[in-house]
Amino acid sequence: MTKEDEILRSLSDAVLNFDSDAAADAARATVASNINPVKAIEEGLAKGLREVGDRFERGELWLPHLMLGAEAMEAAVKILAEHIPKEELETTSRGTVVIGTVEGDIHDLGLRIVASMLRANGFKVYDLGCDTRSLNFIEKAKEVDADIIAASSLMTTTMPFMKDLIEALEAAGLRDRFKVLVGGGPVTEEWARQIGADGYGRDAAEAVRVAKELIVKERSD
Amino acid sequence: MTAPSLWEVLDRACNTGPIMAVKDFDMKIFRVASRLAKEYDIKYDPETPVPSDDSLADDAWKAGFELFSEVGTYCINSNRVIKFEESEIKEGLRELRGEAVVGEGSERRVLSLRGVEDDRPPSIVCGGVIESNFPEGELFVKLYQSIAQEPIIDGFYVGPPLQSSEGRLVRSGTPLEAHLGRSMVSWVREAIRRAGRPGMHFISACTAAIANVAACDPNDGLRRTDGIVSTIMPELKTDYENLSKVVQCHDYGCIKHVYNGSMIGGWAGGPEGAVIVSIANAIMAVMVYNLGIGSSYHALGYLRVSTPNYSAFVTRPCVWGSAIGSQALSRNTKMINTAIAMTNAGPGTEMQFREIVAALCASIPCGREGLSQGVRRFKVVPLLGSGLENRFWGEVGHAMAGVKRDFANSLADEMLSKYENKITRDTDGGPLGHTFDEIYDLKTLKVRKQFIDIYNKVKKELEDLSLEFKYY
Repeated sequence: MTKEDEILRSLSDAVLNFDSDAAADAARATVASNINPVKAIEEGLAKGLREVGDRFERGELWLPHLMLGAEAMEAAVKILAEHIPKEELETTSRGTVVIGTVEGDIHDLGLRIVASMLRANGFKVYDLGCDTRSLNFIEKAKEVDADIIAASSLMTTTMPFMKDLIEALEAAGLRDRFKVLVGGGPVTEEWARQIGADGYGRDAAEAVRVAKELIVKERSD
Repeated sequence: MTAPSLWEVLDRACNTGPIMAVKDFDMKIFRVASRLAKEYDIKYDPETPVPSDDSLADDAWKAGFELFSEVGTYCINSNRVIKFEESEIKEGLRELRGEAVVGEGSERRVLSLRGVEDDRPPSIVCGGVIESNFPEGELFVKLYQSIAQEPIIDGFYVGPPLQSSEGRLVRSGTPLEAHLGRSMVSWVREAIRRAGRPGMHFISACTAAIANVAACDPNDGLRRTDGIVSTIMPELKTDYENLSKVVQCHDYGCIKHVYNGSMIGGWAGGPEGAVIVSIANAIMAVMVYNLGIGSSYHALGYLRVSTPNYSAFVTRPCVWGSAIGSQALSRNTKMINTAIAMTNAGPGTEMQFREIVAALCASIPCGREGLSQGVRRFKVVPLLGSGLENRFWGEVGHAMAGVKRDFANSLADEMLSKYENKITRDTDGGPLGHTFDEIYDLKTLKVRKQFIDIYNKVKKELEDLSLEFKYY
C-alpha cells in the first residue's frame, strides 16, 4: 500500500469511526504529503460516508451515525478546502439542495434522514429544519444558488403548503430556476404530480435517487 | 414536598430553562442512551419478541430514569431544556394515583393498574382509525357508529383532523382547523348517540391546540369525561401547541391523554436505545405533562422503525421494545398505561389481524391497562378504517387477560413469522386492505360476509394455537 493509499484509507476510516479528530489529522497528513485534496475528498472521505449511508440503509447504523459521519467529514473538508481553488471545490459537490419541513409541520426525523443521505451522496445540503415558510425556502435557495428545493410533510393538513411553495416560485418567476422535490409520510406520487412538483421520493433512498436524476436533467437542459 | 407544578414547568419551558441547540440535544440523547444500554447490558434479542425476564424490564426502567434525569425535555419553540432534580422526579412518580375515570353514565369506566400477567381483563378498550382519509359529515359519523356499536369497545381516539372543513381544504393551525375540531366532535357525539351510548369516552387528537380548545363544551362538544391528546415528540421534546393542550386539560378539567411513540433508527439509535428513550418519554409525561394531576392516562406507543426504506410499526424489534417498555412501567410505576399500535396492513386483511395479535402480546400480558387506537395506513388512502378491526382488538385484548409471557412470546413469534416478510419497501409495508364501504353495508352498518369469514378464520387459527376466547 502506498502512502497515498494509506492516507485515503485513514480519511475513510475516520468517517466510518465517526472520529472528527482523526479526520482532521488525516486531512493535515493529506496536505503535508501533497496529495490532491479533491482526490482526498472523493476517494477518502466521501467513500467512507457512502459506506456509512449503505450500512444505514441495511439497518446496521442509525440516524445519529449519519450525522456523526458527516461531522467527521466536515472537520476534514474544512482543512482541505483551504488548499483547493474555489471553482475546483464546486466540482466535489453533486449539487445543492435546500431542504426543510413545510410550514406548520414539526416532524423532523424523516427530514434529517433525507438530509443526511443526500450529504452522504455528495450533495451540499442546507437544512432549514421544521416549519419552514415557502418564502424562506425560496430566499435560501436564491442565496446559495440551489439546484433543488426539497420539502417534506408528515401531516395531511400541512401537505397543502407544498402547493404554496410551487405557487410562490411561479409568482416570483423562479419556477424554472429550482427543481422541487417532495416527500413525507402521507405524500404520494399522485399528490406530487397534482401540485406540479418535479420529483417525489417515497423514502430517503428514493429521494436521493430522484435528486440525482433531477440534477442530471437540469444539467442536460 | 410536591413535584413542580404545571406553572413551574411552563416557566422552565418558556422563561428559565437553559438554552441549547436542538442538534446538541438530539445527539446527547443518542450518546447517553447508547451508554446506558451498555451499562445495563440491554441487548435486542430477535428470538424473543416478548421477553419474560423481570430484571431486564427493571434495568430498562433504571436506564430510562437515568436518561430523563440527565437529559430532560426540550421545548422546540423556546430552545430551552426543562430539567428536573432527581428528587423532583421521584416526587412526581409518587403523585401518580394509579386510577383514571373516563366516560359518563352507563359508559363510565374506571381505569386501574394491571400487573404483568394479570388475569383481569383490560380496563379500557379504545378504538379508532388513524391517518385515514374520511370525508366530513355522514360517512365520518357512520365510521364511528360502526366502532361505537361494538359492545367490547369502551372508547375511541378521534384524529388527526380530516382534510376538509365546509368543503374547503384544511391546513394545520389555520382557523378552518379550529372549526373542524368542533365539527368532528359533533359528528362523534351523533355517532355514539345513534349507537345508544351517549356517555361514551373519546379523545380528540387535533394537531393545533386551538382546534381542541374550540371543541370543549360540556353539553354538545368535548365533555370533561372525554379527553385531549398531547404528544411527546420524538424524542423527549415538546412544543407550545402540546403544552397548550395540557393547560387546557388542566383548566377545563377534562381527561389528559399523553401519546408517546419512540422511534427505532432515530435519535434513540437501535431497539435498545429506543426502549430506554420510550421509558424516559413516559417519565416526561409525568413531569412535563403533569400526568399525576386530574384524570389522565398515558399511551406507550408502539416503537416504530424508521429506516430509509420503510417506516413500520408492528415489526419484531418494535414488539420486543414495546413488551419491555410495558413491563418496565407496570412493575415500577403507578402509571395508567395503554397501548397504541398501528398496523402496516390495511383493514379486512389476515395480515392486519395478525399484526393486532402481535401488538397485543406485548401489551396485555405485559401489564398494560388497555389498548388505544386502531390502525394506520401511512399513505393516506380514502376510507381505510372500520369497526371490524376495532372489534378484533377488543376481543383478542380480552382473551389475552391471564396469558403468560412465555405463551405471548410464542404467539407473537408465530404471528410475526407469518407476515414480517411482507413489510418491505416494494409492498409499501403490506397489503392496502379494503375500504369502509367494501367491508360494511353502509345502509345497515353490518359487516359483509367475506370479511366475517376472514375474521373467523384468524380467530380459529388463534384458538388452534390455544388462545382461549373467554366470552364468546
